[in-house]
Formats: sequence, C-alpha cells, structure tokens
Amino acid sequence: RFHNLQELRHSASLANKVFLQRDYSDGTTCRFQTKFPSELESRIERPLFEDTVKRLNIYYAEAEKMGGQSYLEGCLACATAYLIFLCMETRYEKVLKKIGRYIQEQNEKIYAPRGLLITDPIERGMRVIEISIYEDRGSSGSCSGSSSTSGSSAR
Amino acid sequence: MGKEACLRYTSSTSLPPPLSLPLMPGFSSGGLGGEVGGPAASPPCPFRPSRFVPVSAATTFLVGSTTLFFCFTCPWLSEHVSSVIPIYNAVVFLFTLANFCMATFMDPGVFPRAEEDEDKEDDFRAPLYKTVEVKGIQVRMKWCSSCRFYRPPRCSHCSVCDNCVEDFDHHCPWVNNCIGRRNYRHFFLFLLSLTIHIMGVFGFGLLYILQHQHQLDSVHSSVTMATMCTAGLFFIPVAGLTGFHMVLVARGRTTNEQVTGKFRGGVNPFTNGCLRNVSHVLCSSQAPRYVGRWRGKQTVEVHPPFLRPPLSEAQLEAKVLDNGIQNDHHSSRSKSSLEQMESQSADAEPPPPPKPEVRYPGLPRADTEESSLLSEGPSTPSMYKYRPAYSSPQRNHTALTHPNKMIRGDSLDSPSILQSSRQASYRSEPSSLDGGSVIGLAARGGERGEGPGGSSGTGGEVAGGISGYSLGGRSYTSYPSSLVLSTGGSHSSSMRSAHTHHNTLGTLQSEGTTDTSYKSLANQTPQNGSLSYDSLLTPSESPEFESAAHELSPQKPHAPAAFPPAMTSSPPPGVRDVPLQGYTSPFLSAQMAQQREGQLLQGSASFSSPNRAYLRAFSPPSPNPPHAAHPETQHHLLHQDSRHPHLRATSSIRPLPPVSEQPSPSSPHACSPDPPVSPPLRGPSLRKSPSYTGEAGLQHKARPMGGGSLSGEGGVRVTQAPQSTSRPGLANHSTSKPVGGVKKVTGVGGTTYEISV
Repeated sequence: RFHNLQELRHSASLANKVFLQRDYSDGTTCRFQTKFPSELESRIERPLFEDTVKRLNIYYAEAEKMGGQSYLEGCLACATAYLIFLCMETRYEKVLKKIGRYIQEQNEKIYAPRGLLITDPIERGMRVIEISIYEDRGSSGSCSGSSSTSGSSAR
Repeated sequence: MGKEACLRYTSSTSLPPPLSLPLMPGFSSGGLGGEVGGPAASPPCPFRPSRFVPVSAATTFLVGSTTLFFCFTCPWLSEHVSSVIPIYNAVVFLFTLANFCMATFMDPGVFPRAEEDEDKEDDFRAPLYKTVEVKGIQVRMKWCSSCRFYRPPRCSHCSVCDNCVEDFDHHCPWVNNCIGRRNYRHFFLFLLSLTIHIMGVFGFGLLYILQHQHQLDSVHSSVTMATMCTAGLFFIPVAGLTGFHMVLVARGRTTNEQVTGKFRGGVNPFTNGCLRNVSHVLCSSQAPRYVGRWRGKQTVEVHPPFLRPPLSEAQLEAKVLDNGIQNDHHSSRSKSSLEQMESQSADAEPPPPPKPEVRYPGLPRADTEESSLLSEGPSTPSMYKYRPAYSSPQRNHTALTHPNKMIRGDSLDSPSILQSSRQASYRSEPSSLDGGSVIGLAARGGERGEGPGGSSGTGGEVAGGISGYSLGGRSYTSYPSSLVLSTGGSHSSSMRSAHTHHNTLGTLQSEGTTDTSYKSLANQTPQNGSLSYDSLLTPSESPEFESAAHELSPQKPHAPAAFPPAMTSSPPPGVRDVPLQGYTSPFLSAQMAQQREGQLLQGSASFSSPNRAYLRAFSPPSPNPPHAAHPETQHHLLHQDSRHPHLRATSSIRPLPPVSEQPSPSSPHACSPDPPVSPPLRGPSLRKSPSYTGEAGLQHKARPMGGGSLSGEGGVRVTQAPQSTSRPGLANHSTSKPVGGVKKVTGVGGTTYEISV
C-alpha cells in the first residue's frame, strides 16, 4: 500500500505511522481505542479524529451484532449446506464494505487534506487502525517509514 | 513420521521460550491427538504427507461408511420401514459433510503478518507480554515473534500452520486445519452432526441386522455389520469430543484455554453467559477473513499543502518552548510563566532540550533580542544603535526581553551581569532560555535592572547580582546559562552558538549569561546573541565592537563544555572597549576593550577576573576582579577559537558566572556574570559598572563567557583591554581575527555578518 501511495504521490512522503490499538475492555468484540495519539496533535483536530473512530466502532458493533438477521442467515446457510455463500455475502462483509466506503470518504474529505491517511483495519487483521502521516517532501524530506522530525531541519 | 518432523522444528518462533510449547495448539487438541510441535515458523512448512493421513482417514471413513450404508442398508430400510430414513440420513450426512468441508477448508481466522512499520516500536525494547484489561481482568498479550505483533486475547500461534489464529481453539488433524474464530462453528456443527450421523448409521444398521438375523452371512448384512462396527468405533471418541465442546461452548472457553487451564479457578472474562455463548457460536455472522482479501487500490491521494489545525494556546506554548523559534512570541507572553519557572529548578525549564543540537531555546531569544536590536536587519546597525543608547535600548530591550528572558535575565542580573538595564534586558533573553536555571537565581537582577533601566539601576542590580551570584549554586546554575547567554548575548550569533551549546547545559542559562557578560562589557548584557552585538556595539568603541563582533562571528557552537574555567579567550561580551575583529579575536577585542576600558576597568581582572570569576564559579569565589565572570566567556572564547567568549559561551551554555568584576562566586558563569562586572570597566559598555567597577575589562570577558570555553585565556576578555591582566588573555584570543576593520558577527542561525569598523 505504501508503495502504491508513493507512486501516486509526488510531493508528499510518508513520514510516520500511528497505530490505534484495539480496545479489549469489553471482550473480543471489535472496538478501537479512541485515545488521541500525540503524533496527530498538530495534524488534525481532536473532535474530527474521535468522531471517525467512534463511528468506526459503531459500524463494527453493528457488524458483530447477533440479531435476527444473522440468525436467519445462519439457518439459511445451514439449509443450503453453505452453498448460499457462493452467491450471497454475509452480513459482516456487507458492513465491512460500508466501513470501507466510510473510511474512503473520511480520507478524501478530512484526512488527505491534512496529510493523513487511514488504512482500513481489516487489512491489519482488525488489530490496529493505521494512520499514515505524510509530510511535505520539500520541507522535511523525511523518508518513508521514518518518523518525521522536522526538528532536524529546524536546526 | 510427521510427528518427529514436527518435533524437530519445535519452533520457538512464535514462542520464544520453549516452555511455552505446551501451549501450542498442537498439544492441546482435545483428544484428537494433534501433532506435536510443528514446522519452523519462518520457513514455509515442507510438504509432509503425514499431515494428510488423519484427514484422509477421516474422510475415507466418513464417506466410505456412509456410502456403504446407503448402498446396502438403506434400500431395505426405505422399503420396509420408511422412505424417510434414507432422506433423513442423507440430510444428516450432507450436513456433516458440509461442515466437515468448511472446517477443513475455511480460513480459521488467520492474522496476516504485521508489516515492518507496525512493529518498529515493539521490536527492540518491547516486553514479551503486554497486559490489557478485559472486563476488569488482566489478560496478557504475548508478543508473537513470527507474526510480529502482540497476540490479541484468545489468539494463539499454530506451529503446524505457522499462523496466528484468532480465537484459537486447537489444531485438528482430522481436518488438517486450525479451528479458530471463523470455522469453530463449522467444526462444532460437524461434531454434532457427525455424532448424530454415527448414531443414525449405527441405529439403522442395527435395525437392519435385527431384521436379518438369519441372513447375517449375506453381503448386505456383512457390510451393514462392518458399517456398524466402524460407526460404533468412532462413536465413543466423537461423542466424547462433542460433549467436551458442548461444555466449552456453554462456558465460553476455547480448547486451548481449557487444556492449558487458563481459567482454572479463575474467572473467564470472555464469557457472556451460557445462552449468549451458545448463540454467539451458532447465530453470529460469519466473521470475515483477514488474509487473501482483495485489496482495492488506494484511490485517495495525498498532496500538500496540508491543512493544519489551529494550535491551542497550550499547544502553542508547548511548541514555543520546545522549538524555541517561536520563543520570542511566547516568551514575551509568558513572562509570568517564566517567573513561575524561575521558582522551579533548572530542570524545569522548558526549553532546554535533551539534545543540545536539536533546539536552541536560547536562540530564539537571542534572535528576539537581536532582532529587537537589529530591527534594521544587519546586526551592526542595531548594535550600534544599541550601544550608544546604552541605557535606552537596553531598557527597551530589557522590557522587551524581559518577559521571556526574565528568568534568564534575572539570573544574569543577579550575577550583576545586568549592569545596565540593557544588560538586564539582554539577560532576560538568556534567562528565558534557561528558564529554570534562572530560577536558581533569585536575584532577578535582570528584571530589576530592567526596571530601573539605567545603568545605575542595573549597576545596583549587578551588585546585587553579583552577590547573588556569589550565592553560588543557585546562581551558578542559572548563570551558566545566563553567562553563556550574556556572553553570547553580545552577538546574536553568539547567542545562537551559545544557544547551541547552551542546550547542552541548559544553554539557555549560559546564553543569558553570555549575553550579560557581553552586556556588561558593552555595558549591557546582551544575550548570547546580543552579546555579539553588544560587543559590536561596545559603547562607543568600534574596536570593542569589532572584537565583539569578532567573537561573535566565529561563533562556533561551542558546547558549554567550556564551562570549566576553560577560559577560552572568551572575550567579555562587553568587549565594547575592544573591538573585536571579526570573531576571531575576542581576546583581541578584549584587549582593545581593555585598553579602552583601561580606565574603566580597574582590575586587570577583566581578563583575569573573568577567569577567576569563572573559576570561582567552580571554586570558592575569590574576590577576583569583577570579570571573574568572564572566565567562562573566556573559556568559550578560547574554546571557540577565541571567538567572542560570550558567543561561545552561549553555545556552551556556560552560565558564565557573573564573574563580572565581582569575585562573585558564580564565576564559573563568569561569562555571564561578566557583563555585570564590566560595567564599571567599560564605563560606557558596562552599565553596571558599579559593581564591576574596574572590571570593565573583566566584564568584557565575562560577557563572552557564556561558554566557559571562551574564558580560556585567562579571562582575556575582550573587554580586558583595560585590564592588564586580561591583556595576555586577550592576546590569546585575538589571535583569530584580524583586527581589520571588519568584525564578523555571527548571527542567529550561524550566518555571519561582517561589520566593517
């Protein structure tokens, strides 16, 4: 992904990545910590960030909810010897798609203009939300993967 | 044999200590006799046909037996008992087979390996375990070295599959697959359905046999009996396993947890009650797979310029303190905060970064000061402007810098560096730099000096400062920076260098001192940076100025190391008397300054005193000439190639003790204290002459002290000129710079200005 982005990006370079960890306080249900990482303090407003994470948590809770729909889906799957999965996508997958669209939209509207990119946590096994921080290549010259310390140039 | 092969690997890839092996899924299989150990985690598992034996056997038995049952038993049953029987059995068999296939081929919930950038922080110093709290119970997450992340709760690494599996249950050899979050339901249903199927086959076979007792030797009967035997044989383990898993499901545990006894006698944080646990297994939606997903191309592009959120006040403050660049603004605003800082220890001072080279807290102030001085741009003009208006600009400056530099300045003041209000003002810059250091100096001489402005006031301050300086430790701490500052103060450049150095030592302080020292020399206490200017602006004395400038320009980021009475020819900042030729000859300028201030500076001490003062800082202050403070600057100077002592001092953060004249104890700070000392020395340059009377020369030296390095030359401060003693030192210092009519002043950021004298 990073490499793809590098190809696309001509004037910004990946400077750092922040990983938002999972919040396991309520068991293994999918929730992410809403703690505001310090690296983002100067990059994005806190309410925006928290709003994004909270909404993601809501989506994941909806995906994992055990309700009528998921039960019926299971029964149907059993009845058809799971052949139904060949033509129908599960409820979880549907919500994941919605989450992907939401993240894409957030990236476009809020994060990319601030030099940030959110990576869908599903690509990390839903263990972390990865936020990539980009710096203006001209200013910091930080190389990808390295934490940007414009301080170096400040000196 | 597969098992041996597996044992050979015994991989510890995921489980660093071998003791953890028992935890491996391979061991835990509830009765299924899973394979032990497993392939090495890192290299791909070699093809081991032995892995497929159990699953092949299971498949063979299942399909074969059922087929035979359908072929030999069911026809009669459907005819003579009911036709539903075959259908029922077919359904059950299909259900069993479907679940068996799902359990076998479905991804159990494998976590993809973490990418390199994710574990950057975790890899080197990370502990093996990380604890999280799950519903109030501490659960350990272990670091998986092959997958490179901390395993989420209930996750385990399967050595057979070489993967971390979510909600890991066990590795089942009969399906040759791990049982995890995604396929546990299928596995469980497979077990259930298999049990039912076995019971059905056995039961209906028995029915057939019972009806055909007289035909037991027929093929059909034989086959039926064989089928029954197989079924009966497998029924016991399968049923046992089924029952075992039914209990697990009801209790919300995994096989892994049960077998390893994780919750034995404890509370299981993952259970939600029997009913919910069961419904979770059976009714929850199919969990998504993590590996092998189709990744859409990231279509969002990131292009600068980037929006930045507005900084809050607190953020701004923090930023300022940290960066220093914005210190000016911040400092001016945060005077009160600075004052508060004063009360804290030097450590509390915000700006000084751990790494000197990273930030130059003092610099900003210096810049500020400088900028204030050099509003016109080139330092020279403002410096000149400064000097003549010895008092006024200083005052202004004081006021200006006071807020920030208060702290520093204060410290400087106390060492009498603030010979004049101007000095004080300069000092304030450094003080702000060292913030905390200043705290030590209760004598906010600078402030006081600033208040009254006027040399007299500052002089008084200086005196007080000196005494305060003599207080020693306290002032010392602050002084170093202040000294440095003062030393450097004379030139903005010196400030910068001082800052640089300063950082290491709390440059801030030293810078302040250097400034002050310079100031004292120049009758003000310019901050490190300003020192340079100060020296340049040595009141009325271009030579002095030059010398100062001289000192300034070379500004080498002289680590405050110069602190020790390494009197590097730190020309007293106040080398106004002696124009510094470029920066190279702080001493030279000091000499000149001394010459100039010969009358003013009574003590040759200017040179020597700074040294002494500086030395004093380290040792009991000996009532050396006021320039004692300069030693430090001298150190700086010397160190920095006889640059303007304070210049260096600043960098070296050497809080020049307000060596200025006063034998003040804080001589080590000589640099900074010097300035205060110098006032009397230089008369014009040293406003605070009163205390430093006669130490003008010393003062100069003191000033530059900022970095002890300067002082090296026996406190040859630039201002030493008047001081006989300093002469020699000065001479030393002055080596570098040509006494041409060009003074080099190093400005903030290392730019060098050449000022023609």
